[in-house]
Amino acid sequence: MDKDTLRRLELLNQLSLTEEQKSEMYSFFDRRENDLSELSSIDTENTERMVHVLPILTVVREDKIVQNFDRESLQAGAPETDEGYWCVPRVVE
Amino acid sequence: MEFYFEKVNTSLDKKIVADDMLLTKGIPTTAGSRMLDGYVSLFEAEVLTRLTNAGYGLCGKASVGELAIDLLGETSYKGACVDENGKILNPVAEIIKSGDAMAGICLDANGYVRRAAAQYGLVSVKPTYGTVSRFGMIPVACSGDCVSVMAESASACRDILDAMAGHDDKDGTSLPESKCALLKKSAPVVEIKRVAVITDMLCCDDTVNSAVNSLVAKLEADGIKVDRIENDLIKKSRNAWNILMSAELCNNVSRYDGVKYGYRSNNFTSIDELYTNSRTEAFGDFLKAAILFGSDTLSTENYMRVYDKALRVRRLICEEFGKLFKEYDAVLMPACSAMAYSIDAVRANKDMPYTENLYTAPASITGLPAVAFEGVQLICNYFNETSLLALCEKLEKEGK
Repeated sequence: MDKDTLRRLELLNQLSLTEEQKSEMYSFFDRRENDLSELSSIDTENTERMVHVLPILTVVREDKIVQNFDRESLQAGAPETDEGYWCVPRVVE
Repeated sequence: MEFYFEKVNTSLDKKIVADDMLLTKGIPTTAGSRMLDGYVSLFEAEVLTRLTNAGYGLCGKASVGELAIDLLGETSYKGACVDENGKILNPVAEIIKSGDAMAGICLDANGYVRRAAAQYGLVSVKPTYGTVSRFGMIPVACSGDCVSVMAESASACRDILDAMAGHDDKDGTSLPESKCALLKKSAPVVEIKRVAVITDMLCCDDTVNSAVNSLVAKLEADGIKVDRIENDLIKKSRNAWNILMSAELCNNVSRYDGVKYGYRSNNFTSIDELYTNSRTEAFGDFLKAAILFGSDTLSTENYMRVYDKALRVRRLICEEFGKLFKEYDAVLMPACSAMAYSIDAVRANKDMPYTENLYTAPASITGLPAVAFEGVQLICNYFNETSLLALCEKLEKEGK
């Protein structure tokens, strides 16, 4: 893990670390790399990936409304709303 | 020190407590994170609806660690619950032990339920993946998340499993009713005759080793053949699970942006600052580390080397268990390395949830059912958890 990669990960995940947190993160990533080296010794060349542990197929449902909430309820927990819209800072100047 | 996140009045005798990972209509749900501070769901978790219909009454919600990926709940934004000696306490287990609730309904994402049950001498069951609806659970690592039960006895776990297992159209990973029915009390029980103890997993302290030996002695006294076997692959479940869990977690928490619900920073001048400052101020250190690690495993540079590798190792581990279950009815291993954790030790070693899950990751990554009983853990083949619980019930009766 280098400085640039960590900065890229911070940006991708919308996080901003302090210098102390960054320092801890380098050690954390080093330890995870050690974990990975233990996996490297396992031969997986002829093994298929396993995304689901049980044979679960993509569920296709009929396109119909089964549950609905009114706008007021949906926005009740929002930090800031105005006339049915969520408020955020200006995006386009 | 507050074990309850919210208390609820109920006149029903069969009282249950839910951890704060379950959505509850009209009652706040935070998943132990400041990011969801003040969030109130418009609907409730399917399991709670089923349990209410079966006559159980919710007496409250217990505090949980941030996104339930820690050891026992110590990363909750409300603070860790610890005793006067610095021992970490688990809110769900404390509420059950106090007699307030007969059982806890919890999300087992990274093994906290099994660790807590083992350390408190309670019983817990993490059912076969897909047999209990995840609808209304705060998602963490969707391919392994399981709604689990913690209770004083195996029979209470069986009763609750009977009420909450079943197909749910609202959960895309829910198995057909014919499979879920195998968890009902009416389903046939298979006699447990042979158990394997994986010696590679016995890297724990004397108290845990003693619990393993004690249960082995009871099983043998009951005529069950117990073999000590070596297995290096299953021990590596942790390494693969940490990758998969973190990657899924990273995606699942990307929805928390401070716009539609939950926490919003007061410090922003642009939309990017709103997102970044809200997430930075609200998420705890351990969650941030897990998010960044998960994101890194999914990067173009690392996807094949790390994430894809973990998915392939998952298959090998499932196959390894499959081979074991041709010979054995259950596998016995610890659920934790020690019967107590000190908050000082955990603060000094912030990686502990990534190392202590050595014992819980095998059942998490495979979706196999696991029962924590008398301080240890028994893992069995898919859909056989009621047989394991029946064995535990028998041992409970013999112990009285």
